[in-house]
Amino acid sequence: MSGIYWLASYPKSGNTWFRVFLQNLLEDGDRPVDINKLATGRLASHRGWLDDVLGFDSADLDADEVERLRPEVYRWSSRDGEITYHKIHDAYIFTADDEPLVSREATRGALYILRNPLDVLSSFANHIGSSLDKAIACMEDQQHVLCESRKQLPDQVRQKLLSWSGHVLSWVDEPTLSCHVLRYEDMLVDPVAAFTGAVRFLGLPDDPVRIEKAIRFSDFEELAGQETEKSFCEQSPRAERFFRHGKSGIWRDRLSPEQIARIIADHGEVMRRFGYLDADGRPL
Amino acid sequence: MRYTAYNLSIDSEIDLPELFPMHTSNAEPADVKIHFGSIAPEGLADGQQLGPFLWATPESLWLQVPQVARFLISNGNAIRIAPEPCIDQDSIRVFLLGSVFGALLLQRGHLVLHGNAIRIGDQCMVCVGRSGAGKSTLAAGFLQRGYEILADDVVPVDNDCRAVPGFPRIKLWQNVAERLNIDTAGLSRIRPNLEKFNYPITLAPGTLPLPIRWIYILGRNNVTEEFLIEPIQGLQRFQPLRNNTYRVRFLDGMGLRPEHMKQCGQLANRIRLARVARPNNGFMLDRLIDRLLADIAENP
Repeated sequence: MSGIYWLASYPKSGNTWFRVFLQNLLEDGDRPVDINKLATGRLASHRGWLDDVLGFDSADLDADEVERLRPEVYRWSSRDGEITYHKIHDAYIFTADDEPLVSREATRGALYILRNPLDVLSSFANHIGSSLDKAIACMEDQQHVLCESRKQLPDQVRQKLLSWSGHVLSWVDEPTLSCHVLRYEDMLVDPVAAFTGAVRFLGLPDDPVRIEKAIRFSDFEELAGQETEKSFCEQSPRAERFFRHGKSGIWRDRLSPEQIARIIADHGEVMRRFGYLDADGRPL
Repeated sequence: MRYTAYNLSIDSEIDLPELFPMHTSNAEPADVKIHFGSIAPEGLADGQQLGPFLWATPESLWLQVPQVARFLISNGNAIRIAPEPCIDQDSIRVFLLGSVFGALLLQRGHLVLHGNAIRIGDQCMVCVGRSGAGKSTLAAGFLQRGYEILADDVVPVDNDCRAVPGFPRIKLWQNVAERLNIDTAGLSRIRPNLEKFNYPITLAPGTLPLPIRWIYILGRNNVTEEFLIEPIQGLQRFQPLRNNTYRVRFLDGMGLRPEHMKQCGQLANRIRLARVARPNNGFMLDRLIDRLLADIAENP
């Protein structure tokens, strides 16, 4: 068996937390894994991965040319007889050749990590170093992209995020994709059930002792402690910390009524579908 | 037309304005011939496939850049180009002077590093690091302080652990040019669709290879506001050299792994190798150059 399981999410939705859990589960060691040595697959937009497989520099291609070649890279990388797990922030999009960016042949499935957009907002604003209002505008922008620059070389290639709602629906409603939704809030409230469901979806052994240990080794105190002690290599240059709160509901203290109303106006339908709004449209 | 780069004479059917033209009256054959011709689209029948666009045998490497061209590099002395219809020559040259020359230099027995070589007195320093680490910015910064750039991006190392000079240009992104107050109005784009420019530099034709004394691996640190320079000792030196080898994947199919290991070991014994971690928030080019020059002075 071989192929790629994508750990897909909008940025700041708990993807890294899940990757730390997964690494702990796979290693099954006596102590928590080092957050700076996560080996659970390279980021889908990592330029080094693309360049290595292509044999030429993606830096000498424009963003559209790179996008057309990405399915080939994942197809090639999925041929080596192993199942691998790769983080991805791109929406499930199609290239100019009308094929899925992630390649159907390469993909075994997607674990979609979902978080209340009201909480994503302040974390995302912090991550991109912008105001909350600017981050709201990014999250409603159907054309929003990460790492697009024609004038310089970011270390990741361009990623089309779409709007927050567009991102969620692109993955969870893709008919040809085997997709399991893992809510960040469920990872907090009932970690054993949430992580066990994800582990079963990924076809890994669901040994309760091992899962419980991996949850303990990847809890917020552990991650934040490691970050304080030695920093985290994946932190955004524009943010002070990567692991900030590890809680849900922080939006209640952070967002103005107008900002809450804007998010609900933009994303209410998807929020309701995934249990972030009650029947009367009030946030939960 | 005959050119020279990497101390090789090169006869080329495609114009190579980035290289030194070579005026020769004798009929001596060139070291390398570059010509247009047909190349099988499906790869090398007797070769090993190394990637979706890459095949190799011990003698040849087949590389396809979709929508641009296919290239066949053979025996370290011949490059065949099969361009896609309607492709511009600039686009062909970008990949020819990058991966294709890299493969040729590997076939000629060089260790090839992914970085920039900068002359420091009678020796040289090589800065390596992943794409986007800031190698070109750093090279341009040294250039502005009057240092000579021996090679940009592709640095061949000969059997005496010397960096072999390339050709007189570096590739500059628009934002780097702006930071260094370089006006790009008169510069040619490396490809029509990229804001990346050919920046001609001074490099005397016939410059001899220079011994590599220092290799710095550029990276970032999230810990402090300072530049951290961390020397790498003993057996730890081998892996970073391997990781910063140009197109390490090419080595497999061409059977060059054992030779490459030997070359890395030989080089590791001769150099000061250190990781340079710059602060996360900003490049601070002048401080980086000062810090490197201080480290070089402390470790002559």
